[in-house]
Amino acid sequence: MDLDLTRQTRKQAAMALPVRERRFVPGKLNVWKLLVTIVMLFFGFLMIVPFVWMFSTSIKSPAETFVFPFKWIPDEINWNHHIKVWTGPKSFVTYYLNSIKIAAVATVGATFLSALAGYGFSRIRFKGREALFLAYLSMMMIPPQVLFVPKFIMFDWIGIYNTHWALILPGMFTILGVFLMRQFFLGIPQEISESAFIDGAGHLRIFFRIFLPLSKPALATLAIIDFSWHWNDYENALVFLLDEKLYTVPLGLQNFILENTVDYNGMMAAATAGIIPMIIVFLLGQKFIVQGITNTAIKG
Amino acid sequence: MNKSWMQKQQWMGYLFIAPNMLGVFFFFVLPTLFSFVLMFTDYRFMRPDVNFVGLENFRRLFKDPIFYESLKNTAIFLASVPVSILLAFFVAVILNRSVYLKNLLRALFFLPYVTSGVAIAFVWMLLFQPSVGPINAMLRFIGIDNPPGWLSTTSSAMYAIDIIWIWFMLGYNMIIYLAALQEISTELMEAAKIDGARSWQTVRHVIWPLVSPTTFLLLVTGLIMTMKTFGIIQAITQGGPGNSTTILSLFVYQNAFRYYEMGYASAISWVLFMIILVITLIQWVGQKKWVHY
Repeated sequence: MDLDLTRQTRKQAAMALPVRERRFVPGKLNVWKLLVTIVMLFFGFLMIVPFVWMFSTSIKSPAETFVFPFKWIPDEINWNHHIKVWTGPKSFVTYYLNSIKIAAVATVGATFLSALAGYGFSRIRFKGREALFLAYLSMMMIPPQVLFVPKFIMFDWIGIYNTHWALILPGMFTILGVFLMRQFFLGIPQEISESAFIDGAGHLRIFFRIFLPLSKPALATLAIIDFSWHWNDYENALVFLLDEKLYTVPLGLQNFILENTVDYNGMMAAATAGIIPMIIVFLLGQKFIVQGITNTAIKG
Repeated sequence: MNKSWMQKQQWMGYLFIAPNMLGVFFFFVLPTLFSFVLMFTDYRFMRPDVNFVGLENFRRLFKDPIFYESLKNTAIFLASVPVSILLAFFVAVILNRSVYLKNLLRALFFLPYVTSGVAIAFVWMLLFQPSVGPINAMLRFIGIDNPPGWLSTTSSAMYAIDIIWIWFMLGYNMIIYLAALQEISTELMEAAKIDGARSWQTVRHVIWPLVSPTTFLLLVTGLIMTMKTFGIIQAITQGGPGNSTTILSLFVYQNAFRYYEMGYASAISWVLFMIILVITLIQWVGQKKWVHY
């Protein structure tokens, strides 16, 4: 009886607390929660096992590669495969420089141009704006497969096929980026523009002096998403680049793998080289990436 | 006065969007129109004689057995989308409420999506290696004597690709679900609990219907994205063995840049476009019918 009463009061007390605090009421729930956490941790680590295995293999000797049960940390750490990837005639240094150049220039261009158009579509009322924006968005539906052949022919005509410009120039125009920036600018209070107008500022001044500084988080989000997109872009590079010395990291990686079909450790060292920058971007910019993809996905 | 100033500055609107418009015209609109013309020709790269052949490319396509094979493979590939969405839903529901270390767990599930690309596809290629690869070593260890050949046999290759794709898309779907779950009011959840609903019932009868707009959105965008991709498949199987992993988008690529049949490839790419258009139309109609806020 006594026991029952305490249990009931405890339950009532728990119900009275806001949800967040209720979690800390000691009892059955916490053990359950711990169990669920352990199960989810197991699955979570299963998700990243490919990465762990990749790196582990890249520092193993060939003899140890497929030993079962797995040795996650080899007896003798072997950096030779990484050295092979980064030195020699087909060093990843070239691919890295190419990729960084393309991704950096395209990202800076795309971010700026998206902000510019996003401002135009959100803060300046002009004739045909809504129709134009709709037409603009509808371009997103066109699959890249439709564009590859005509772009290939056009780029050949104007002489940018097999140059980095074939990736940089189209990369500077991202419809999704314009959409993202427009959404962000729509959220900036109208009064800010109005008071600037009264002070005699024009749109250009308002854009550069007020909107660009205000939108640093949105610009960062867009830049990170754009950079990773360019870094990972294999399909465009495959279609528009021919010379090995122009290869980006994904193409270089493919080349390495085609030429070293039995060197599994070397392959994984090369894959590590391709993935490390993305892991760094992920660790530094996870918040921005999450924000960016939720903002672009939940538009309807 | 303010108003008139804004009126006067109208032309600035065109100035702001002009650079982008120019780029979009040159890299999207013009190639699309060009492609529309190309699909009625027998254009092959580096060949000077180009003829209009009318609907010949389509006639050829509908007789091409590889086209039908690629449609079948595409269907198997698309089947990975709902699977990934469903898994992501459960992960998101669990991560949203009943775990510790939320941020770590979220990062673990999300990592594959961010580091996508061909690099990780090559890792999977080795993981799936049939004779000595770690996945089959594991399967043999737990007593499966004849593990599948994964990417190396025609019957299983497409499903192996599905596994990679599910793994890759899971994090994206989960993030979107987590955002949607934040919107569900805690009061509603409490009401369900007070009414005596068990966790499973709450998930099934309260959460799942409430996130149905998100599910629908993920399904449509996921299907479209999956229709458009071919990079990882080109990287690790080139559509093989046989044509067992040649999906429609890869079929376009191969006709255009392996056989240089650019007119033919353009025709196929418009079939792909039409399928995407249908999915998009379903979204428009469906949004009005299904989505209740």
